[in-house]
Amino acid sequence: MRPDRPAKRLLFGTPWGVSAISLHFELARRIAAQTARGALRGRREPGELVRQMYQIGNRSLLFVAVTLGFIGMVLVYQTCLQVNRITGDLSQVGGEIVKILTHEFGPTLTAMMLATRVGAGIAAEIGSMMVTEQVDALRMCGVEPIEYLIVPRFLASLAMTGILTVFGVAVALALGTLTAYASFHVNPHIFLDFDRVRFGDLVTGILKCIAYGAAIPLVSGHCGLMARGGSEGVGQATTRAVIASSFVVIVLDFGLAGLSYFLLQQP
Amino acid sequence: MNGGAATLVLERIGAGVLAIAREAGGIGVLCGRVVRSLVPPALDARELKLHLYKMGVRSVPIVVLTAFFTGGIMLIQSGIFVRRFGAYGLLGWGVGYAVFREIGPILIALMFSGRVGANNTAELGTMTVTEQIDGLRALAIDPIRYLLVPRVLAMMIMLFCLTLIGDLVAILGGAIMGKLLLGVDFWTFYNSFADNLKTQDLAHGLWKSIAFGGIIALSSCHFGVSVRGGAVGVGRAVNAAVVAAAVGIMLLDYFLTYLLP
Amino acid sequence: MIRCQGVRKAFGDRKVLEDIDLEIAQGTIWGLVGPGASGKSLLCKLLTGLQPADGGHIFIGPDEVSALDENGLMRVRAHFGMLFQNGALFDFMTVERNVAFPLVRAGVPEAEALERARVRLRAVGLSGSESKLPSELSGGMKKRAAIARATIARPPIVIYDEPTAGLDPVTTSKIYDLLRADHAQTGSTVIAVSSDVDGLRSFAREMGMLHGGRLIWNGPAAAIGDADHPVVRQFVRGELEGPL
Repeated sequence: MRPDRPAKRLLFGTPWGVSAISLHFELARRIAAQTARGALRGRREPGELVRQMYQIGNRSLLFVAVTLGFIGMVLVYQTCLQVNRITGDLSQVGGEIVKILTHEFGPTLTAMMLATRVGAGIAAEIGSMMVTEQVDALRMCGVEPIEYLIVPRFLASLAMTGILTVFGVAVALALGTLTAYASFHVNPHIFLDFDRVRFGDLVTGILKCIAYGAAIPLVSGHCGLMARGGSEGVGQATTRAVIASSFVVIVLDFGLAGLSYFLLQQP
Repeated sequence: MNGGAATLVLERIGAGVLAIAREAGGIGVLCGRVVRSLVPPALDARELKLHLYKMGVRSVPIVVLTAFFTGGIMLIQSGIFVRRFGAYGLLGWGVGYAVFREIGPILIALMFSGRVGANNTAELGTMTVTEQIDGLRALAIDPIRYLLVPRVLAMMIMLFCLTLIGDLVAILGGAIMGKLLLGVDFWTFYNSFADNLKTQDLAHGLWKSIAFGGIIALSSCHFGVSVRGGAVGVGRAVNAAVVAAAVGIMLLDYFLTYLLP
Repeated sequence: MIRCQGVRKAFGDRKVLEDIDLEIAQGTIWGLVGPGASGKSLLCKLLTGLQPADGGHIFIGPDEVSALDENGLMRVRAHFGMLFQNGALFDFMTVERNVAFPLVRAGVPEAEALERARVRLRAVGLSGSESKLPSELSGGMKKRAAIARATIARPPIVIYDEPTAGLDPVTTSKIYDLLRADHAQTGSTVIAVSSDVDGLRSFAREMGMLHGGRLIWNGPAAAIGDADHPVVRQFVRGELEGPL
């Protein structure tokens, strides 16, 4: 990326240099098309799929637990503090928090964490394969790199994002309940009120998990495949993957939240 | 059979804990060294300015975009409550409070970590792999004072500024979405915002942003200079740096929420 | 037979290859030399379609590489075996799986492919390293494993990109012996790129030299040392004085 042209300087830091746009679109189109085809009927490498599910799922457990745990505690603390100030009645807070964790903060914050960990991981792996010519070697052996590299990660991410979200929400709730009890003396039975969670909340949450689970490997795989130029290239690819995945998660969140707000119209 | 499997799990857990302790310790040691290099304050002003520009000015677009959408998201979430109770007058307050105190600093810090932190790790990592850091030492230049301190300071200063800008853009985004989606006009939004929010709320978030800037900087510098192994190592270091920064942000947020007014 | 007509390739403003015309006969060993960054590896990638040429025609036998789409290119690549500059072994697979990979992708059952891989590894002197990961191998071992992978499917055309770079003289001789033995057995067409002009001279039958994006010399390997072209003469003899 050369920052000489003034127009580029404005958007520097985002991979939108004038000459690169067409390359990006072409690759993005190919990735989308081939991943869809490969996911539905391509050659299945069961060993590779399991390996990716382990990388994405098992290795992220602790990370998700720690981050969602702290967020859960902060969320409960702030909410209880404010509600205390306004109405003093904390019996409703638990139910509301369960609701909002289900359809908003659970999926989105888990996905932000995964965009960081999994996005960087995928881009780093694929990127270093690009710069060490392993991807060229794959092509010489008759392998289509997108099908071989991205499809297993795509499928694994779809599966694991939902599971990790459920896990994260559970941890957040557990620690949040503890916080409510310890700081505000709210009875855990009252706090853990699942009755308020409507079908619409679940649908929204699940849709978000699927959308995020699909987007992260596609975006970071794209960044990995665009890596050029030695260790510097790998570093840049990884950086871009983290930003791009995180940003896509936020935009998807906005879109899906808006959609569910208007379509579901729940009380 | 069982004994073998159990030992393996314990070994794995032990190794994991040791690894975490090693990295956390490394970051702590680096923090101490950076602080010590600040006294007496003799740092390379040119480096500092360069980094302030690179990290701050060039991050503005992504932060602004993120903040705008974040404001929209918080608006929708608040809107759900507000519609239920009909309390449209509380909309500005709802969005503002969440954005200033929690969501603004955290999401902007996460994007900053991804954009600047990762980039910094990649740069320092490439320098380590190509032995430029050793080269500096050979020229009797202290890498901490010359390389790292300007980056740490620049990141902390810039995240503070970016969070401020981002908070305001998020509120703006929330207001615009409030008008478009819920029909709440700008004055109602602004009034509920101005009446209920105090400078303290904004300050709460800004203090957090300084702390987040610090942990992002230390994490990215630590992993950047301890890279081993060429291109693959750099990729892994970036990965580790952003993960550590994210954990650090959540941890600090938790403690600061209690400690700050 | 491999043929290039007027092939050129540029990256942005930088013209790397210009107006390349050459013919490589079937079954010969063709060596390619030239100063660093003269486009030797790039030419190999153009021949296999890994990179698209900007202009000109490239023929691999009857197929025109420059006119094929990705599916067609996959077909043509099945004729090739390629040794990449840094080995490019897949770092998440063991050595034997690496070597067996081309066979598995071509449809050979896994057990048979692994057995053939082990035989091939023995032939290149790597028995005992089958279950190691590439990161556990030395430079010379990586090269040999990569050569095994490139040749296991007995491809009619083999490209060696820097087969002896960074290796000590003894290992270098062993590698050239190995390549000679392979060629004698299979009669394949060999293209070898190297910065080691002397070693390549004794291995190749014909040689070409790239400089300034053009093929400034192409002829029998024995004659390159007495070339008329001053650049070629200086390069081959390693002299300090001259146009370079």
